[in-house]
Amino acid sequence: MMHRKRLTAPTLTAGAAALALAVAGCGAKTKDEAATAASGGTPAAGSDVLNIPYLADMSVPDPDVFYDIEGNSVILNTYEGLVKYAPDSTKIVGALADSFTESKDRLTYTFKLKSGVKFHSGAAMTSADVKASFKRRADVGQAPAYMVAPIKSMSTPDPLTFIVKLKSPVDPFMAYMASSWGPKVIGPAALKTNAGKDFGQKWMRTHEDGTGPFTLTAFNRGRQYTLTRNDAYYGTKPFFREVNLKITPDINTQRLELQNGDLDAVLHSFPASELASLPSKLKIQTEPSFLRLLLYVNTNKAPFDDPAVRRALRSTLDVDQLVKQAYSDTATKSVGPYPTALLTGQPVLPYTPDPAAAKAAVAKATTKKISMAYTADESGVQRRVSELLQAQLTAAGFDVTLKEVQLPQTYAYIKDLKHAPDLLLATNTPDAAHPDTWARIMFQSAGGLNFLGYSNKALDKALDDALPATGEQAAALYRKVGQQMIDSDSLFFLGDVKDVFVLSKGLTGVEHVPAYPWTLTYAALKRG
Amino acid sequence: MSTVLTRRVLALVAVLLGLSVIVFALQALIPADPARAIVGASASPAVVDAKAHELGYDKPLPAQFTAFMGRMAQGDLQESLRTRNPVADDLRTFAPATLELALVSAALAAFLGVGLGMLLASGLRAAKVARLVLIGGASVPGFLVALLAILLFYSALGILPASGRVDDKFIIEDGPTRLLLVDSLIHLQPNVFFDAVKHLIMPAFTLALVPALAIARTLDSSLNQVMREDYVRTARSKGLRERTVIVRHALRNAAGPTLTMGGLQFGLLLGGIVVVEQIFAWPGLGLYLDQSIGYSDFPAITGTTILLGTAYVLVNFLVDLAQAWADPRIRAI
Repeated sequence: MMHRKRLTAPTLTAGAAALALAVAGCGAKTKDEAATAASGGTPAAGSDVLNIPYLADMSVPDPDVFYDIEGNSVILNTYEGLVKYAPDSTKIVGALADSFTESKDRLTYTFKLKSGVKFHSGAAMTSADVKASFKRRADVGQAPAYMVAPIKSMSTPDPLTFIVKLKSPVDPFMAYMASSWGPKVIGPAALKTNAGKDFGQKWMRTHEDGTGPFTLTAFNRGRQYTLTRNDAYYGTKPFFREVNLKITPDINTQRLELQNGDLDAVLHSFPASELASLPSKLKIQTEPSFLRLLLYVNTNKAPFDDPAVRRALRSTLDVDQLVKQAYSDTATKSVGPYPTALLTGQPVLPYTPDPAAAKAAVAKATTKKISMAYTADESGVQRRVSELLQAQLTAAGFDVTLKEVQLPQTYAYIKDLKHAPDLLLATNTPDAAHPDTWARIMFQSAGGLNFLGYSNKALDKALDDALPATGEQAAALYRKVGQQMIDSDSLFFLGDVKDVFVLSKGLTGVEHVPAYPWTLTYAALKRG
Repeated sequence: MSTVLTRRVLALVAVLLGLSVIVFALQALIPADPARAIVGASASPAVVDAKAHELGYDKPLPAQFTAFMGRMAQGDLQESLRTRNPVADDLRTFAPATLELALVSAALAAFLGVGLGMLLASGLRAAKVARLVLIGGASVPGFLVALLAILLFYSALGILPASGRVDDKFIIEDGPTRLLLVDSLIHLQPNVFFDAVKHLIMPAFTLALVPALAIARTLDSSLNQVMREDYVRTARSKGLRERTVIVRHALRNAAGPTLTMGGLQFGLLLGGIVVVEQIFAWPGLGLYLDQSIGYSDFPAITGTTILLGTAYVLVNFLVDLAQAWADPRIRAI
């Protein structure tokens, strides 16, 4: 017969002691403890760990596939290209290339590589790796492959020289090389060891083998990506031992975690309305970017198939008020059809509010009922702008219906323009600091961001003529194209949106490149 | 009992079929161009067309539907357009976090609901106060409850974390169940266990609030009815304490409608997971689904929808089993 054993006081005490010992003694180690042990006892207090949020998972940390904005800091801090843009500028400077030259016929580019550069896997970087990386981009054939499409041949006369020959002159070629999405040099761990049958794509969904100041040591989708300092980096050693990129999809949660000190910075989408009431331990840094607020007009159906009604928008929109009310000091009214730094002497935008003229013109429209879509964004600023636009258009006599859409929906408008919205509000950025990277996707008939299908054959030809042209000849063509876009009233250039970084006050060394949106150079950041 | 089982299996097949048709119809009706979204703005029309062909989006709708249903029948969920992983792999990554949150929330809802239901039936004054608090909480939208909870317990009091499933400072042993509460105990990592509990409290409570109230109300109503039955009067006349009468005699007989309500509420709980996971940065299916919607990642949306639908049917099957336990008459069916 079994008897139930009574729990006595000594038994309970022993149990409690065992539990306490378990809690105290055999828990999981923390990363700080592991880092302390690895450094031979020097305590790692966590002050050399940087915590930054992402609003969404990045697609993949593969530079030949990745073509979004959220996630570019992973690419830019783990990989390097041959060249890059200098901080706060559009000047192209060497990255993995010590120097670079362009032949007189603008067909041959010669890159002299830095010596002593090692991949994160430990292998030394040579020109053969650069050639293999460029070839991989073409082989993978995803979105960024267009940047290597002009290449006719590549050669590597010695381990530190890489030569590219183009099929025909392409003025923005070096801008492609410096782009955030430009070709990066990938090491043998991806291109040989784990290449498989898909050019290493499967392995590179969670790993990398770049040369950058940080290595990707953990890629936990939906949770966090961890970048760890590359102690073998040839350049200046980063201050931060670790950068944690935490997936935090709600901007309010990000804001509270920043205020509580669990995050060190929020690098985009911080609500403009909250900026004025930040606690004293935080600071705001606004930097110029190429992000632009745009209003697309559907010229393929009434009422905006009538040029006179489209022109009425010039007097209907009070862009100054719109930008000030929605963005406060984090955007400025656009002054030309291109991001300002991309082209000098741009044609001026002729938008002047005139309520009486607007009402008179709108009265002649065949229909007053119009729809306006805007792309969803976490900060809510697009919704705010849309509501302000709605008010201005309503005052002029339109009856406006608003609709929030996701970006992939806007790509489908081109297939059925008669059922596409009459107006579309969106924010876009060019791939690089070159007018062609803006005009070709925005203005050209087949441009990927020409959402509402404006088509002008003369404009298309001028753009194609500009591609091989150089200097003032190309600039003149881009100005002409810009003027044609303004005259068409098919796309309204509303605002130049700044990159707004909200940082803990102790964070210094902010280094930013206008062509690389939503990110900072983590290797330059310091605490204190 | 075998009839119940057969009915549920048929219901599962019907639900999965229905969900597949609905998801496909949505995919076909919502104007979106995932091919362009994948290859990017700078890709030429030829490249976009090639991608659309590769994904089968260039075929007529009936052909797309046939191919889609064929894949569904084989359990092929395709690759995610965003993560480029097989959707089945992504679901394996994200589902454990949702499962853990849903189980804890359901347990919390059951505990709070049954507790309050019994309290209400007992007629104590404290029950009225508890009901008021719960009604107040349940009438506030879920996202607001979540934000208020973060403001109070994270920002003001600093006792609970605002986001994530566990502090990433820990070096965590992975598996075997991928439920952190279980795995941390298996690997003797109590600090991870307690940290995971702290992370669970706010999202689980936010999710459990509405179901708890629904369960409490149903149980209260059932108990009130049962308490008027003859056998309860007999039990009371034997001199049994009120608590004993409720727990030993009335509760089991009042369980049927409460279990049904619990099963229905589980569906609502799954619906609320998208918002709660978003606010608390909980790395589960809701977060995966939300991000996939923003990308028009139809394979991922389809896979997640099918999985959540299956979970709903399975839970209701478990409810049937529980009802059979509670009411022997059902076992005889």
